[in-house]
Parts: sequence; structure tokens; C-alpha cells
Amino acid sequence: MSVTDFPELPWMWAGLAAYMGATVMAFRGVITMENIGALSAPSRINQQVVLACIVIGIVLLTISLGVRWDRLGHGPFVNLFELLISQLWSLGLIYALVYWRVPALRASAVVVMPLIWILGTWVLFIEPADSRFPPTYSNNWLWAHVGFGKVFLTFCLVAAGLAGIILLRSLPLARDWFRGMSTELLDQMAWRFMILVLVFDSLMLIAGAVWAQDAWGRYWAWDALETSSFMTWLSIGAAIHVRMTYKLDPRIGALTILAIFGLAFVTYFGAPFYSQAAHKGVI
Amino acid sequence: MRWLRRLASTRLTLVGMVLLAIGAGLSYDNPEHMPVWVLATPMALLALNLSAAIVVYPAIYRNPGLLVFHLGLLGICVLAAIGRLTHYEAHVEMSKGQIFATEAANDVRHGPLHMGDLDSVRFVQGPWTVDYTSRLTRGPTRSHVLVPDEQEGWQEIIVGDDTPMILEGFRFYTTFNKGFAAVLTWIPDEGEAVTGTIHMPSFPLFDYKQSNSWQPPGGQEIKFWLRLQTAYDIDGSWTLDGKTSSAKLVVNTGEERHELDPGQAVPMEGGQLRFDELTTWMGYRIFYDPTLFGLFISSMLSVLGLCLHYWRKFAHKPLATEVLYGRDNVSAPGVTHKTDADAPVQANQRNTVHL
Ligand code: HEM
Repeated sequence: MSVTDFPELPWMWAGLAAYMGATVMAFRGVITMENIGALSAPSRINQQVVLACIVIGIVLLTISLGVRWDRLGHGPFVNLFELLISQLWSLGLIYALVYWRVPALRASAVVVMPLIWILGTWVLFIEPADSRFPPTYSNNWLWAHVGFGKVFLTFCLVAAGLAGIILLRSLPLARDWFRGMSTELLDQMAWRFMILVLVFDSLMLIAGAVWAQDAWGRYWAWDALETSSFMTWLSIGAAIHVRMTYKLDPRIGALTILAIFGLAFVTYFGAPFYSQAAHKGVI
Repeated sequence: MRWLRRLASTRLTLVGMVLLAIGAGLSYDNPEHMPVWVLATPMALLALNLSAAIVVYPAIYRNPGLLVFHLGLLGICVLAAIGRLTHYEAHVEMSKGQIFATEAANDVRHGPLHMGDLDSVRFVQGPWTVDYTSRLTRGPTRSHVLVPDEQEGWQEIIVGDDTPMILEGFRFYTTFNKGFAAVLTWIPDEGEAVTGTIHMPSFPLFDYKQSNSWQPPGGQEIKFWLRLQTAYDIDGSWTLDGKTSSAKLVVNTGEERHELDPGQAVPMEGGQLRFDELTTWMGYRIFYDPTLFGLFISSMLSVLGLCLHYWRKFAHKPLATEVLYGRDNVSAPGVTHKTDADAPVQANQRNTVHL
């Protein structure tokens, strides 16, 4: 694996370094909370540095993706390396937008960034092998499917970040990190994100089914990805119903959200392990 | 009406969802060999449960968003069931110049209520090309087909990969299964000549065994083998195209072996066999399901209903930033609000979250 063969790599490494900066600063922010009476929060300057680091990371990853796209002549849709790097880019991008527009959830970066690092570490260990674009991928529904999927996964990540705070604050180590935050309201906010997750997951599945009908002549065939993504969708619906039917303790709710995030994660990144290709029709 | 309330229970919904998840798990990778009830039973249970809930719960029927959402889900269940009952799937191999006829379809599977009119589908197969890059990676397929136009003539269209040909509701998809064929004419010593095609196995998948056999009525089995000249290149880019390919046909009757160029004939017991020309065939997958558009509309309406429900539910209930940090905390004794620019953003009450 040499840089001359894969000129996109240095840009990717630089992007990850920027994400590392954001991660370190996010932790620094909650450890050195500024106190105003009973209220505490990361300082404004700290929040700006975190956001700036994520934005720099996105710019560098955009260049990395652009260099690879230009070299191969097609977008990052085919192999695991491409899937990981494009998700690192979109999770960062959409999370940065949420971070910017919804200051109340900025503390979630201490959970969100480490979750992003699962992908960040993984991508460093796999061959950035060149991929070939299957003929059935030149379909406009692909864009809708991939786009909705990216929004779905990031909103799921944000909900997981808020759920993570609910769980983390009961640990002695992190007891002081989120002082003054209301668990009940963190829980409500996390579930509002889960509703957005249901909306975008549904849209992703619809666009995917239309594409599958065009590409492979069937809209649903229970392949690895389809089965796993249906389970994810159903579990979101079931979780919303459970919460509606029984009064859920926020910590159980938080564990449920993390489990759903885990399922979505396995759908995206686990399928290559138990299926020959992300989608059967690729072969 | 007690039974209706029981049937509408949201606890039953959870049971149905668990059963559906089990059914989905069992269908994984193997839906063809799984009995249909593993999915049909939980879906029927959920459909009944949902229909009852729509009637029983004012929370659903008084709330347009939630109603449209759940009706959309019900629509998807019902349409999926109708789709399974009326679907039709098959494969067909079409050689160049051949007019489609229902009898040519094979591997036919269809639902008990299938009512599509495949007999009225008419098209003529034309030539096709498939691009390849190194290591035989398949690129775009372009299959030229003549279909009836509005003035009772024919019009040429190009289909392939994710652009199916749709005729009378039947969708024809090109497949990787395609190859070469030999057009042969049997000229008997007495009687009329008959022309037909012999399809060789899929190319380039089976490029090493381009052979087939045929037994003339009352005669002995004849084995055919095509010695092909194509642009085939394992390391580079090339286009598979009948027009730029040529072949010699090796005819083996057991005792004798002949190599024929197009136009040449070989004498045999009771007549002559002529190799007229090299041609190609394309394998299509046929798919018919009259519910596709309805499913799309139903699922989109469902999502719109969900958006409407939550819009109405939350639009007037923003989660304010200060609330996240606890309104009680903000007004707690000893809390002073800084107004300078250095104040932490969360402490600044301007930020309101609309989610
Ligand atoms: C199949 C049987 C189903 C039944 C009987 C059912 C029943 C209900 C009922 C009674 C409500 C009442 C809401 C309220 O009291 O405010 C509700 C809400 C809801 N249902 Fe279902 N449902 C079913 C299936 C589903 C499925 C499959 C999903 C999604 C995957 C779903 C998602 C929702 C959502 C998102 C809400 C709104 C909850 C809220 O306002 O927070 N439902 N459902």
C-alpha cells in the first residue's frame, strides 16, 4: 500500500488527524467545564475549536474522496474502504451541522467522536483497493438511497451520543462532566432524534427498493443487507411503541438507542463479513 | 366490542413485531425455500391488529398524520400480499431476430391469482453488446430490441442493466446469461428444409465449453462445438459484440468430424446440415408485479403521514437549550447570567432547539 498508488491516503490521514483534534478538545471541554452557579458547560472557545477541527477534517476528507473519485472515475460506493471513508466524511459533515445549529447537544461530542473513531481506526487497517463500478450503479435512485442513508446513520449517531451521556453520567469517572443537564430532557431529545431516524431510514429503504427493482428486477429479496436493514427499521418502530406502551427508565431507553445504533452499524459495516458484496447484485 | 379492544392492543403489536423479525431472520438468504407463512402470519396478525387499532384508538383516527402513517403501513402489507398472489417470474433466452412467444419462457413461477397477459407481449430481439474491463469485470449491457410502436409498426429501443423493457406490465431485465448461437438448416433428401438455432452456454462464463448437441428426428446425436474468435481479453478492456465475432462450427457425429465456416454444409444420413451463420442470444429475467406503483405511493404516504404527525406534535414544543440544562437550575439561587461574549453558549438563553 504506497502513497504513489493511492494519492488519496495522505489527505485521509490529515482528515483523521483533524478529527483526533476535535476528539481531544471535546474531552478537554467536559473535563474543564466552566461553572456558572449550578450550570456548567464547555467554554465557548472550546466548542468553537471542536467545530473548527471537525470542519477542517471534512475539508481534508472531501479532498481525499475527490482525489480517489478522479482517479477511479466513480464515487465511493463499492468496497468497504470506500464505504468507511465516505461515512467518515458524511458523519462528520452532518454532525458538524447539528453541532453548529443545536448548541444544546454539543457535549455529546465526547460520545460521538469515539464512535466515529471505530470507523477511523478501521479504515487505517484495510487495503484501499481500487474498486470497479457495477453497471447497475449508474442509477439516480442510488443517490437518494445513499443520501437518506447518510442522514439516517448520523441522526442515529447523535441519538447514540445523547444516550451515551445518560449512561456515562452514572459512572464515577464522568459524574462531573455533564453537571446541570437534565436526564429526562436528554432522553426526550434523544428520542426526537430517533423519530428522525425512523423517517430517514424509511426513505432510505424506499429509495433502495426502487433501485433494487430497476437494478436486479426485484424490490426485496432478503439478502444480507436487506434483512439486516429491515430488522433495524422494525426495531426502531418497536422501540417507539415500547416507549409509548410502557414507561421506560431513561437508562433502559438509552441502552435501547445504543442497541439500535449497533444494529444500524452492523447493517452498514458488518454485511461485508457475512455477504460477498454489500449488495448481492454487485457480483 | 371487548374482543376488538383486545385485538387492537399495542402489546399484541409488539408480539407481531417480534414474530415478524423472526420471520425475516428465517427468510434471510433463502426466501424461495422458506414457507410463506413465516412472513405471512405475522404480517396478517399485524394487519388485523392495526385495522382494529385504527378503529379503536382516537389517538390514531383523530390524528391525520398518524392515521395516514398507519394506513400506509396497512397498505404496504395488503399490497405485498396481493403482489405475491399475482406475481409472475420467468427466464427467457432470445436469439437475434427471434419474436417473443410465451412458450419460450422457462423457470416460470407465478402466484395463484396471476392474471397478466404475457401472450400479448411482442418484441423482436436485435443485436447487443457488453463492455468488459480487465479480469472479466462486466460493464454496461446494451440490448437492441424492436417493440411495437403506436402506428402498428416497430420502434427500436435499447435496454440493459438497470433499464428494463416494460411491456404490458412485464419487466424484461438483461442478465449476465447471454452468448453465441449457431443458425443451422437441416435440408432433408426429401421434404422441406427447417432452420433453427442452437444456443451455446453463456459467454464468457463458459468460454471453455462452447458446445451443445442435437438429435435430428430418427437420427443419431450430433455434437457441436464453436471455435470462437472474439475480442476477449482477460487483462484489458474489450466489447463483446456478435458483429465483430466469428466462429467455425465443429460438427461431430461420432464417426466423423467436420469444421464448417458459415454457409458450408455437411452431408449426413438422410440429408445435409448447413451452418448458416453465427448469431447471439440474450437471457432475460421476466418480472411482473402489478402492485409496484401502489407500494411506492403507499410507503411515501406513510412517511409523509409520519412527518405530519411529528410536525404537529412537536412544532409548538421546542426543547429549549436552557431546559436541557434544567430550568430549575437556571433559576436556582446563586445563578447569575453573564451577558458578555465569553458566556458559555448553553447558559445563553437565546438558543432554542426546534426538533
Ligand atoms: C401493526 C400494528 C400497529 C398498531 C396496532 C399500532 C398502533 C399504534 C397506536 C395505538 C399508536 C398511538 C399513538 C398515541 O397514543 O399517541 C401508534 C403510534 C405510533 N406508531 Fe404504531 N402501530 C402499529 C404499527 C406500527 C409500526 C410497524 C410502526 C413503525 C415501524 C409504528 C410506528 C408508530 C409511531 C412512530 C407512532 C407515534 C408514536 C408517538 O407519537 O410518539 N407503528 N401506533
